[in-house]
Amino acid sequence: MVGAIHELPIKGWIDTKGVKMGARISIPVRRIDAKEKAGGWTKYIGDYQFKNLQHGRFLRSERARAKIIEIKKPDFPEGYYYIDASDIPSSGKNNIQMIKDDWRVFAVSDVKYIGETIAVILGPDKQKVLDLLNRIEVIYEDLVPAFTFDDALSCKGGAVYGDNNIFSEYLLNVGNVDNAFKDAVKIVEGKYETGFQEHLYMETQGLVGAWEDEKITIYASSQCPFYIRKSVAVTLGVPVEDIRVRQTTTGGAFGGKEHFPDVIATPLAVAVNKVKKPVAMIYDRIEDISFTSKRHPSKITIKTGLDKSNNIIAMDIDTLVNGGAYESSTTIVLQRAILHGIGVYNIPNARIRGRAVATNTFPSDAYRGFGAPQGLFAIEMHMSHVADELGLDSSDFRRKHFIKTNDITITNAKMHDDVKLPEMFEKIDEMSDYSSKVKEFANDPVKGIGIAFVNHGGGFTGNGEQAIIKGVVKMKRLEGGKAGLYVSVVEMGQGLQTTMRKIAAKELGLDYEDIVYDNPDTDIVPDSGPTCASRSIMVVGFLVQECAKKLKAKWNEGVGVEAEDVYKHPDGLVWEQETLQGDAYPSYGWGINVIEVEFDPVTYEVKTTGIWAVWDIGVAIDETIMQGQSSGGVIQALGYASIEKCELKNGTFMQHTMADYTIPTSLDFPKVETCFIDNPYKYGPSGAKGAGELVFDAAPPAYAEAVQNAIGKRIYDIPVTPEMIMEALK
Amino acid sequence: MVDSYRPKDLKDALSIRAEYNPQPLAGGTDLMVRYQSWSGTLPLFTKSVMFVGHLKEMKYIKKEAKDKTVTLVIGGTATLTDVANHPDTPVVLKEAVLSIAAPALRNNATLTGNICNASPAGDSICALYALDAVIVIEKSGSRREVPITEFITGPGRTILGPDELVTAIKIPLKASSVNDFTKVGTRRANALSKLSFTGVADYKNGRIDSIALTFGAVGPTVVRSVELEKKLIGLSGPELKAMIPKVIDDYSTVIVPIDDQRSTAVYRKKVALNLLEKYLKELSSHE
Ligand SMILES: Cc1cc2nc3c(=O)[nH]c(=O)nc-3n(C[C@H](O)[C@H](O)[C@H](O)COP(=O)(O)OP(=O)(O)OC[C@H]3O[C@@H](n4cnc5c(N)ncnc54)[C@H](O)[C@@H]3O)c2cc1C
Repeated sequence: MVGAIHELPIKGWIDTKGVKMGARISIPVRRIDAKEKAGGWTKYIGDYQFKNLQHGRFLRSERARAKIIEIKKPDFPEGYYYIDASDIPSSGKNNIQMIKDDWRVFAVSDVKYIGETIAVILGPDKQKVLDLLNRIEVIYEDLVPAFTFDDALSCKGGAVYGDNNIFSEYLLNVGNVDNAFKDAVKIVEGKYETGFQEHLYMETQGLVGAWEDEKITIYASSQCPFYIRKSVAVTLGVPVEDIRVRQTTTGGAFGGKEHFPDVIATPLAVAVNKVKKPVAMIYDRIEDISFTSKRHPSKITIKTGLDKSNNIIAMDIDTLVNGGAYESSTTIVLQRAILHGIGVYNIPNARIRGRAVATNTFPSDAYRGFGAPQGLFAIEMHMSHVADELGLDSSDFRRKHFIKTNDITITNAKMHDDVKLPEMFEKIDEMSDYSSKVKEFANDPVKGIGIAFVNHGGGFTGNGEQAIIKGVVKMKRLEGGKAGLYVSVVEMGQGLQTTMRKIAAKELGLDYEDIVYDNPDTDIVPDSGPTCASRSIMVVGFLVQECAKKLKAKWNEGVGVEAEDVYKHPDGLVWEQETLQGDAYPSYGWGINVIEVEFDPVTYEVKTTGIWAVWDIGVAIDETIMQGQSSGGVIQALGYASIEKCELKNGTFMQHTMADYTIPTSLDFPKVETCFIDNPYKYGPSGAKGAGELVFDAAPPAYAEAVQNAIGKRIYDIPVTPEMIMEALK
Repeated sequence: MVDSYRPKDLKDALSIRAEYNPQPLAGGTDLMVRYQSWSGTLPLFTKSVMFVGHLKEMKYIKKEAKDKTVTLVIGGTATLTDVANHPDTPVVLKEAVLSIAAPALRNNATLTGNICNASPAGDSICALYALDAVIVIEKSGSRREVPITEFITGPGRTILGPDELVTAIKIPLKASSVNDFTKVGTRRANALSKLSFTGVADYKNGRIDSIALTFGAVGPTVVRSVELEKKLIGLSGPELKAMIPKVIDDYSTVIVPIDDQRSTAVYRKKVALNLLEKYLKELSSHE
């Protein structure tokens, strides 16, 4: 048993017990889950007790690309099972229905990456399961694997996908690029690369499948319960109503629990369907780092043409992302990378070719930012390099090219947002003393300062919210003056259990603690869509606000009265999905980061001495929670930019322990000084826009530029390791 | 299945060790990681295990004076925290120990364990090589003392016999005016070493009287060249200063690191030599 928690007066927290939420929504409240989580009471998937629980473990491919010749199995004692593709019911199929369904539930006859699921071994005793697993021998015939962009493009070993290894290809164009290059007096070119990144959520992947009330229930640490429901239903060939998914409190996700739980849930469901007993699939840490999706590596080439007055008149970009062995959501990641490819700039003639390639690496998937950080890193570094080439101040040069309201975007639509970048720059300049430090550090042998400007489209790309998701939310008046909130978006550490309650409470004139909002259960809540794409507050939160208004109007009808709201795309937005033309996002969050560093010429280590962030996220639903997003997003991005090295060697991630895959500790970076500027958005709750991914986007290029200025050498790739700095200084 | 033993005292431990040759387990911070298996199953020990961390006779740190030398004796079960907190712990060892992991781990992990694990990246080992540490080894009825350089024979390998235990570490306390321990890790805290460096030296009458220079994680064992150190004995500060490029050249032939998942061979070598240069410059400006 856990003892009582002592009440700690925490600065900046206002306990609003008894305070109605009519006041300014941004005023922070105590997080609804804070006590439980800090006290260790919260139950995660591994803490649940199930009667007669069986333990499952995957038999995984040990080869990156091979034919399976034979699988030699020992005799399985009673109660122990070997589950593979042959156990999928005839009505179902061996595919995981994600955005694409090419990822197989179980590998059959060949394997495409190290770690690919071949079978589930399960039984009541973990040690016996492990012993059986160790006695299985898979005989392979090796084929030639492809790992790198070059391998993929040259179809090394034959195409992994289709006949050319290209999962998807796009061409965006605005203006006339070829003509404009003819007029250019100067051309600058650069090639930018980013690596894999592991999510390293505190709670590893974990699901339990159970046979309850004659149907399969999946308990899942997950961002998207309805995604799991759909993929399991398709694999088993049953109607979605026959599958129930209950989200369990999720200890971090960052995109890693968006699609990836489907890769565990589908074979798990096949197993539960066969044994009709509860089965747990909970990853150990090394297993989790070794065998889960990572952020897509990217390689982006940018060529820029300038006129006599140093204005950019043309830009030609070639974007590659590595999707790994299966496509899953790679095409959408590529879309985001290119839709953010020219960053926050107005470039009259621009072209972006984007290709997602197939290789024999572990399939890449969602990670906070979903392609945007890769595109934004490249464009921001490039803008810095162009300025350097021209002998201009990097921030002046970029500011001169800022996109403004009504300028034309890369998708040939008008920028509808009220773009406040100029005043945001003034704010961050004042906070960080950026402009004077740029001058002061110019000749300093060890100090440097960098800046980056970004935006991030909130919600699904284009009209995805309307065409694909069609989110629904429901509310109900409960006993005792309380209201029930029924949505499928989840708390995963980002504060949604608190912010959603605040939005509903504000409209209803209730205390936020009087809103009942449980972890979603697909048998109870409507499908309001997944928890991703910075959409939960902006899109679902707006539905909650509108739904609460409807409920308020009906409140006096008595206990049990319900209200519902369904997504409607804002008027006047157009989108053509095939060609990616029109209004790419309903709105954008905007941000600027300034980062100051000092490097050690003896060890080439970099010490970050200052971090500043200014964000336009419309309106913060809760300032403390948004401070958390700002600090967490920026530091996670700084890990990506500096120490999170994740190298692939023959298809295996070399850094697969927490000792070797290092993420920042509180000693690695100083406090993030954050400021929010208000810029309310008409279709966001109280004016709020997307924020969860935006906060990741600016730090990598700001950091790399700071290091670049400190060492006096250009930086093209992240992570910027001390090893890289040493090589650059040779 | 393996057996486990929990001896009541050191004597008992030595006789169990002699009879069954179980693997000693002190803090378990290396062993429990090395033998970890699926959570919820038993660790994959290949031999029987004998717990030694609780043995009180070895949980001490004391000073011994004999003739003119004073020796710090660190008992075989003293934890890293005990070592870091002791007022007589030489500064380079204290810094090395404090660079290991986080407080919770240091409260459990022993100095003996760090040595016996014999990892080339073992941080205390780099300092202990420079401090001329001596390992006290006992078995039922006998006892021997071996310099740490002879105790460790390779990565994860020592000369410890199957019936022996390490019962203490002895460090001669010498005058040392210019001390440096630097760890270059994968991040600022709770990190493993990419490489480490220890320098200790003292002047007498304006001339270098003693010096030790050691490098961790740049070879199969900690690198120390007594031969190269001897060339520096007797030099004055300015003489040393003039010799620095030559010394760096000499050391560049003895430091032969490898590439691995934490760093590269070129980086390790270059930074090891940079740290050496920085230390020697500092040393040459003292007298
Ligand atoms: C998270 C984490 C971070 C770490 N960070 C660092 C780091 O930064 N730097 C670093 O150097 N190390 C680090 N380590 C490694 C580890 O903590 C040390 O090596 C530790 O000092 C080992 O001590 P122990 O008592 O836990 O040894 P144990 O694990 O109990 O044993 C280690 C070895 O010593 C042997 N042994 C123990 N006692 C005796 C004895 N009396 N006689 C003979 N043999 C004996 C054991 O048989 C075994 O071979 C880290 C470990 C972890 C888990």
